[in-house]
Formats: sequence, C-alpha cells, structure tokens
Amino acid sequence: SVCKFISYSVGVHKMRDKLRKWREDNHRNSEQIVDVGEELINEHASKLGDDIWIIYEQVMIAALDCSRDDLAWTCLQELKRQFPGSQRVKRLAGMRLEALEKYEDASKQYDSILQDDPTNTAARKRKISILKAQGKSAEAIRELNEYLEQFVGDQEAWHELSELYINEHDYGKAAFCLEELMMTNPHNHLYCEQYAEVKYTQGGLENLELSRKYFAQALKLNNRNMRALFGLYMSASHIAACPKVNATVKKANVKYAAWATNQINRAYQLAGRGTKENKCSVKAVEEMLESMQITMS
Amino acid sequence: MSIKLTTQAYCKMLLHAAKYPHCAVNGLLVAEKQKEKKKDSHSTPILCVDCIPLFHGTLALAPMLEVALTLIDTWCKENKYVIAGYYQANERTKDFRPNQFAEKVGARIAENFSEAAMIMVDSTRFTMGCYEPILTIYDHHENKWKCRDCNADCFEDWCEAQKITSALLEGRSYESLIDFDNHLDDLRNDWTNPEINKSVLHLC
Repeated sequence: SVCKFISYSVGVHKMRDKLRKWREDNHRNSEQIVDVGEELINEHASKLGDDIWIIYEQVMIAALDCSRDDLAWTCLQELKRQFPGSQRVKRLAGMRLEALEKYEDASKQYDSILQDDPTNTAARKRKISILKAQGKSAEAIRELNEYLEQFVGDQEAWHELSELYINEHDYGKAAFCLEELMMTNPHNHLYCEQYAEVKYTQGGLENLELSRKYFAQALKLNNRNMRALFGLYMSASHIAACPKVNATVKKANVKYAAWATNQINRAYQLAGRGTKENKCSVKAVEEMLESMQITMS
Repeated sequence: MSIKLTTQAYCKMLLHAAKYPHCAVNGLLVAEKQKEKKKDSHSTPILCVDCIPLFHGTLALAPMLEVALTLIDTWCKENKYVIAGYYQANERTKDFRPNQFAEKVGARIAENFSEAAMIMVDSTRFTMGCYEPILTIYDHHENKWKCRDCNADCFEDWCEAQKITSALLEGRSYESLIDFDNHLDDLRNDWTNPEINKSVLHLC
C-alpha cells in the first residue's frame, strides 16, 4: 500500500540524515554507524543516489573500528570499482591495513600515494598515525612538527600535536600549539579552555593567572562551558590562597571565585530541577565550594 | 592489605573502557569507610564497592581532575565511602603498564588512604565473554608500586562478576555509562550511574 511505501522511505531518509549528521560532527560512534550504515547499504542502496559513495567510506572506517573486516572489505571493493585509481580510495585501503596491524604494508601504500602526489596531506597524516599506533611518540611528534612547517594552517594537526605533547607532559609546547589555534580561531571557546587547562597544569603563579584569564575568556565566548567555569573557580581560589600575592590581587581573585561559585550553584540548580538523583550532586558541589572557601581564607 | 572488587565496581570499569575503545580512560574506586582500624587490619581486605568513571581522551591535565577528586571526596563523605583506588586504561591496547600520570594520581590517593591501589586495565585480554579478569593491581609499598597478580581471589564473587559484566557488555550498557567528562558536558548526566547500578542488582 502507499502508506507502507511512504513510511519505508521516511525510515531511509532518517537513517541517511543520521549518518550525515554523524559525518558532519565527526562522531566516532562506530558501532551505531555500522548498525545504521550496514542496513542502508544492504537493504536500501538503490534509494541513496550518489550519497552511497560517501556512505560506503563512512561505514568502512566505522567497520574497521569495530573489527568488521568483512563489512570494510565489501565497502572497499565497491569504492574501488566506482573510483579506480583514486588516491582517496587508496588511503582507505591503507587504513584497512593499519586496522589489521600490517603497518609496513600500510606505510608502503601511503608512500605510493605520496610518490604520485607529494602534497597529499591525508597520506602524510596516516603515516604519523602509524607511528602513534606503534607507540613511537617522539617520532610522531617530530614528523608532525615537520608536517606543520609545510602545512601551517592545518588546525587538526595543531590540535593533534597539542595532545601528543600533553601525553608527554610537555605542557609548554602543548601551550604553543593551542596558542596557534587560538590565534586563528579567536572565537573558539574550546581552545581557550584547553589552553587554560594546560597553563594551570604547568603550575606556578604566573601560569595560574594566565589560566584564570583564559578560563574567563572561554566563558565570555560560551557562558555554558562548565569546564571553564570550574576552571575559573579553581584558578582564582588557588591564586587567592597563594601567600605570594598582595592584598589587591587576593581580593580580586576572591571576588572572581565567589562569582564562579554562584554561577556553578545556579548551573547545578538548573540541571537538578525535577530529578532527585541530582540533588546529591547539587549538595556535593555546595559542600565542596564551602570547604574550599574555608581553606582559601 | 589488598583490595577486593565487587561486581558493580568491576563492571563499571570495563563498561567505561568499552564505551571508549579508542581512548584512554580513567576513574576512581571507592570503598566503605572502616569504623575503626583493627589491630589485625592487615588480614582483612578492603572491598571496593563502586567505581566512578572520570575521563576519556586526554587524561594528563590537572584542573578537571582536581574538581572531580574534590567533588567525589565530598560525595564519599556523605555516603561513608573513601576513595580507595584509581584505574586507567591506556589509549594503545598493548600499553598496559602504568605511566607517570597514573603513578602520580595513585600516590595522591595513597596520601589519604594508605592501602590505595592503582589498577591498570589490560585491553589485549578484553573479550565480550570476560572469561578472565583483565586487571593488574598495584599496591603502594614504601613509595613504590608493587604489581600483584589479579585472579578470582581479587573479587568478592568472580563468577558473578564475570557473568554480569559479560551480560551488560552484550547488551551494550556501556552506551549509557556516564563518566565525569559526560557530566561536565551536561550536568544532568549522573556520574553515579544509578541505572547501571540497578541493572547490576537486577542481574545478581
């Protein structure tokens, strides 16, 4: 009947839209992508039009994440058939080799891409990912630095590098990477907040004050960023409690911390409305803030 | 002496690791506060009754960890718990040794609780069937971390832990597990995971 046909189509559209949203948000919810994508590919391929190719790519990568080599292989074959000789598909073949831990073969695959096209950034980044997967952090960092000398605008790469440095506890260099990102993305509250976290972790009065400034900046850009709000509270509290600061600075930071306390309490009240489970969270936060204020004075 | 784990504690640890297979994850273990220190307290193992999943992804930053430790400490006091351990699963599957960060956090917890344990999850042996315990437990002795073999003795009831953890993994309960990161993203997310606690009880 006509009704059945319509609801069938709506289902397919919904699934396709889900996949698109996950693609756009760069979500790594691979199990769900495989669930939805496998059904779409197996049952509704004809209804997807040209979208099918990008869906094959998305599902293939998700399948690799879930050790579904059968599904990944199927997607890869379809893409190879449709786009013979494509560098993009070659890269996917390389990723499959990586998933199978055949790192040397994968590396050769990427080298062959780079031979034809030395500016292929995707292949270069995959080679760095291999180093990461093998635990060769120092080499990965070195290669990524070299890459960034050439491709200085690659934000994803700067962010990756900041994470590599954080894992090595090289907070100074991580901060530098985040500074690059903040310069080119002044309205991104997440970069501000992460920079503040790195500065806080570095420690010392100067870094604490910087961290407080950047937590505050992140809040200005997004007043619902809870990490920034907590961070502002923590950094201001620590500065106020520091014996080295003069009375003016102490007073100012006590004010910042008090303001943050208020905002945190408000946020928890708002969130806790209606759920009795969250009452314990609200109480715990109130007590935590109270106890910290005592140690601060 | 050494710690033992309840099913709920073990379960939630593994669900946390399963939810983020591509990330490092970490969290805390809590035990019931002992009323008084008995003379032969060396022989009674400490029972870790619950697990609080903390973060996933980049672990080695201080501010949110401090917030979590302080907040959870307050919560513990209300519930007569004490923070008794720290667990971590590294980003790379083959990397199951504790790193500098794990040791630091572990030491910090040991300051407040001398019998604190540091637990590393060995992802190479992580299966849906959960046929063997996949933890390595480290005890704090004289400022060093000493590795202890983890077998069925480290659990209140290993058979129950194995059965229930496996069942929850099959049922994809990890999709609804909340860690402290999720809580910071949306305060309504409850890091005590009451729904999963109910599921565990229900299966017992």
